[in-house]
Amino acid sequence: MPLRRVLIANRGEIALRIVRAAKSLGLETVLAASAADRDSLAAREADRVVTLGPAPARASYLDANLVVHAARSTGCDALHPGYGFLSERAVLARLCEEHGIVFVGPSSDAIEKVGDKLAARRLANVAGVATTPGSQQLATVEEAVAAAEQIGFPVLIKASAGGGGRGMVIAHDAASLRDDFARAAAEAKEAFGDGALFLERYVERARHVEVQVMGLGDGRVLHFGERDCSMQRRYQKMIEEAPAAALPAPTRRRLHEAAVALLASIGYRNAGTVELLYDIDRDDFYFMEVNARIQVEHPVSEMICGVDLIRLQLEIAGGAPPRFAQDDIVQHGHAIEARILAENPQRGFLPSPGRIVRWRPPQGEGVRLDSAIEEGSVVSPYYDSMIAKLIVHAADRRRAVARLRDALEAFEVDGVATNIALLRAIVGHADFIDNRLDTRWLENVFLPHHGQQGG
Amino acid sequence: MSEIKLQDIEALLETFEASSWSEMTVKVEGLELFVSKTPGARSALLAAAPADAPAAPAPPPVLSAEPRASTNGGAFRTGAIPDGWVAVRAPNLGTFYRSPKPGAPPYVKIGQRVEPTTELCLIEVMKLFTSVVAGVSGVVRQILVEDAELVEFDQALFLIEARA
Repeated sequence: MPLRRVLIANRGEIALRIVRAAKSLGLETVLAASAADRDSLAAREADRVVTLGPAPARASYLDANLVVHAARSTGCDALHPGYGFLSERAVLARLCEEHGIVFVGPSSDAIEKVGDKLAARRLANVAGVATTPGSQQLATVEEAVAAAEQIGFPVLIKASAGGGGRGMVIAHDAASLRDDFARAAAEAKEAFGDGALFLERYVERARHVEVQVMGLGDGRVLHFGERDCSMQRRYQKMIEEAPAAALPAPTRRRLHEAAVALLASIGYRNAGTVELLYDIDRDDFYFMEVNARIQVEHPVSEMICGVDLIRLQLEIAGGAPPRFAQDDIVQHGHAIEARILAENPQRGFLPSPGRIVRWRPPQGEGVRLDSAIEEGSVVSPYYDSMIAKLIVHAADRRRAVARLRDALEAFEVDGVATNIALLRAIVGHADFIDNRLDTRWLENVFLPHHGQQGG
Repeated sequence: MSEIKLQDIEALLETFEASSWSEMTVKVEGLELFVSKTPGARSALLAAAPADAPAAPAPPPVLSAEPRASTNGGAFRTGAIPDGWVAVRAPNLGTFYRSPKPGAPPYVKIGQRVEPTTELCLIEVMKLFTSVVAGVSGVVRQILVEDAELVEFDQALFLIEARA
């Protein structure tokens, strides 16, 4: 069914990006905004704006009923959820399905299947994608030692009832496992009321890699290569790259095959990302999770593949999937994205809302900026602190790093604190230039040293 | 007369809002402006204009049928409300209903006295109905929205002349 009018249920740069992509396909756009965003750039470019509710997301962007009511009463036949907010809530996709609105994303069933962590692990196993090797629940310390020897040290002792990193202990050998097992059980009992433990392989040096896929809705699943998002602080990505240049080519091919097999097994439709943990020392990878939406860092894949993934999402949702096949997707060069945040790294990354009085983003060949900020824009305290995505593209990683360094050097922002100076320092670091990174590098290697310099 | 500016229109609307007039028509070179305090009122000029119906069945226009500067609700969102009058606003986006159910008499009429807890209308979101109360003692002076119309968060629905 060709689409005619799409409701965009989001804000910031992604709302603007979707408005522009939809207009380029000849679609009419209705932006559903909170009161804080009704004069935003996306609101000005959309054909119509409706105000859902007050600024707090709970009363506006996070209310699925409000969003679908807005879509129905403005005559929209499609709804794009963007990322964050309601984008991965099966309830929104289901409400759309029930009311004849095309959800620009996977089916509600697919969102549920990949959204449940244990169910997603089972899916991965069935599709032949490895998950982190682990044990069943363990009754005794001897059982634990036997299991650990099978898994291979180091291992992570985890509480069955735990979560969010609580109750986890690393054991590097049998002796320390014997020492720590009883204590971990007592702590788990104390914290969660359940002392049951199990083991999982501990990956000492890991990279966060992920594969961009697009299900065409007819059973075919295409991939657009992988990304390396190891530059993280507290599980928040700060810099993303494509391709994952540090991985051997055969490993990258296996990554793509795994991601496609996993999502093809459920007839996945529209954009999705399969996140995997890459074990640097073992040159192996394990399934982590599926993100059933477009992601913040999708532009790096667009740059190397020469596609517009948001347009593709809309085309697939409208029943007109692209004619090209996997072999037509050819990767060129290297792309890097840096997230520009209104946060103060000097003060523990405290969010720094306020009015932007000076905004001079870099320009030039191979430089792209995805942002809804202009001079005079107000960075609201109600939402995420990301104000822009700076993306560079060049023939290879070395040149892309140089281009990113120059672009960051030229970027001028006044009025709110940002992480731009921090990004400049990261990009100038020898470990970044030489791509000697892992998921703990930023927090364990760079930031402590950066702090000592007082800068 | 030189070209009319946005400020001129704003000044006209402010004058109109502050007045006791019920309607105003302004005709100058290249512009005809009709404003009314009666919801749904139509200009005689507009009504007489020939209908230019499109040949093919067109989708409903994406833009709101009511221009932003209309006094039919929109202008009051910016706060130009007569002294002593209070706007009752929509708590969220939804569909506005003046009656508790189809065919039933409306909750309130113009000129009716209300108390803070008097229900004025319903706002429906996906079949969930929430009533909106006056929040003030006074007399209903204007109803700014048509029945079954989409209203947005913070949109003025009623004007009430506050009286103890």
